[in-house]
Amino acid sequence: MRPLAPVTSKQRAAYGFAFFVLFVALWAWATFGGHVSKTFLANPLTMLQEGWELLTKHGFLFDIAMTIWRVVGGFVLAAIIAVPTGVLMGAYKPIEAFLEPFVSFARYLPASAFIPLLILWAGIGELQKLLVIFIGSVFQIILMVAVTVGSTRRDLVEAAYTLGASDRGIIGRVLLPSSAPEIAEILRLVLGWAWTYVIVAELIGSSSGIGHMITDSQALLNTGQIIFGIIVIGLIGLVSDFLFKAFNAWLFPWKLA
Amino acid sequence: MTMLKIDQVSRTFPARHGHAPTRALEPTDLSVGNNDFVTILGPSGCGKSTLLRIIAGLDQPTSGRVTLDGLEVTGPGADRGMVFQSYTLFPWLTVRENIAFGLRERGVSEADRGKIADGFIHRVGLTGFENHWPKQLSGGMQQRTAIARALANDPKILLLDEPFGALDNQTRMLMQEMLLGIWERDQKTVLFVTHDIEEAIFLGNRVIVMSARPGRIKAEIVIDLPHPRSYKIKTAPEFVRLKERLVEEIRTEALKVAAHA
Repeated sequence: MRPLAPVTSKQRAAYGFAFFVLFVALWAWATFGGHVSKTFLANPLTMLQEGWELLTKHGFLFDIAMTIWRVVGGFVLAAIIAVPTGVLMGAYKPIEAFLEPFVSFARYLPASAFIPLLILWAGIGELQKLLVIFIGSVFQIILMVAVTVGSTRRDLVEAAYTLGASDRGIIGRVLLPSSAPEIAEILRLVLGWAWTYVIVAELIGSSSGIGHMITDSQALLNTGQIIFGIIVIGLIGLVSDFLFKAFNAWLFPWKLA
Repeated sequence: MTMLKIDQVSRTFPARHGHAPTRALEPTDLSVGNNDFVTILGPSGCGKSTLLRIIAGLDQPTSGRVTLDGLEVTGPGADRGMVFQSYTLFPWLTVRENIAFGLRERGVSEADRGKIADGFIHRVGLTGFENHWPKQLSGGMQQRTAIARALANDPKILLLDEPFGALDNQTRMLMQEMLLGIWERDQKTVLFVTHDIEEAIFLGNRVIVMSARPGRIKAEIVIDLPHPRSYKIKTAPEFVRLKERLVEEIRTEALKVAAHA
């Protein structure tokens, strides 16, 4: 190994996979070897059995679908509001001066702490879950998009002006396309955070979803099911991350050229 | 008839952090006539880029005014095309789309845009690279695209701010010949800023020498070398004589800058 020396993509995949193997091996050693009590941690095989049971007998697929819909729903709502707001803030300094202090403050309000209030306002239905995700994501996206748009290369903006671009042309044909790849990266990042909010939202006052299954399993001390639920979340995250990356690469070929 | 008039234009950058205000440019007068090729030569810090940016409308003069065909310059516009020293192609647009950018802003139809862009792609020798992204081009090709992008807009005057400054010597000489070739053929009013003495003589009909700290015009030298000029002229006795004279002019200025640094 030498500092910053690259690895081939095959090696990269092999190393990445090796850690998963190591992780499961350690887990198996701790559980099958009797080093950890069954009450606290199920072994990998039990976990798989419990998982299979969840899928076949307890309709866990429906829970997964519910959770995905909540994440995507809340996240899309947040993005629809946050991206244009962030772009306007980045482009127009007075708008930024007007909104930035509040958004910076609101960004630190923990979404999970709003759950009791949101239950009061919106009940325990779907709207409440969507709102938790929305509150958790919207301020983060606004702020990061504003910074990205605001840091557009000045020389590109000047070049566009000397080519006769109007202010609207600058926003639509310089600021937006130049920030678009980074905005997509921001959305990918925040979608990851949205997953943590959804589980918290489902732990309280919910009758479906992966988080709801996890609370149910906790009551029964079924650690196999809990771990299966957590792994499913991880897998969905991995897949959505991969899809997002592939989509971004397809959308912005000039970035990779 | 294009006529650029710079009338007592000065620029002072306001004081910051307790430093005194910087006088980047003393009140300056300059006229550039139709199809003239004027080079502005000076060491770094002589305000030559500031002057060009004021003409482009990207910076405001502290006093004085710039007029183009009698109209006062108040901001950037398509009538003054600009080529920057840094690479300013839009990385998300291909070579052809970059060249057509200004036409698109002006609402030229897509078919006409393509026709005009292809003409300039040919003229700057980028045929075969129309659909490349800027990232895939060498520095010289990027600047050729930038020149084509500015010319495609058919500006009244072309402003170039050390466009070949970041290029290696061989590429720079080829670019000079290309630019001069376009000017000799198509005729255009050009204002070209550089710190390279040979470049200033080879390209210009007039060389404006600027002094440093404070920036002001120190001398104006008419270059009466015949057109079309080829690279061979750079070793001709008249050329060398002009060069010797300018080396002396610039050297005193460079020494002044070094003494302050």
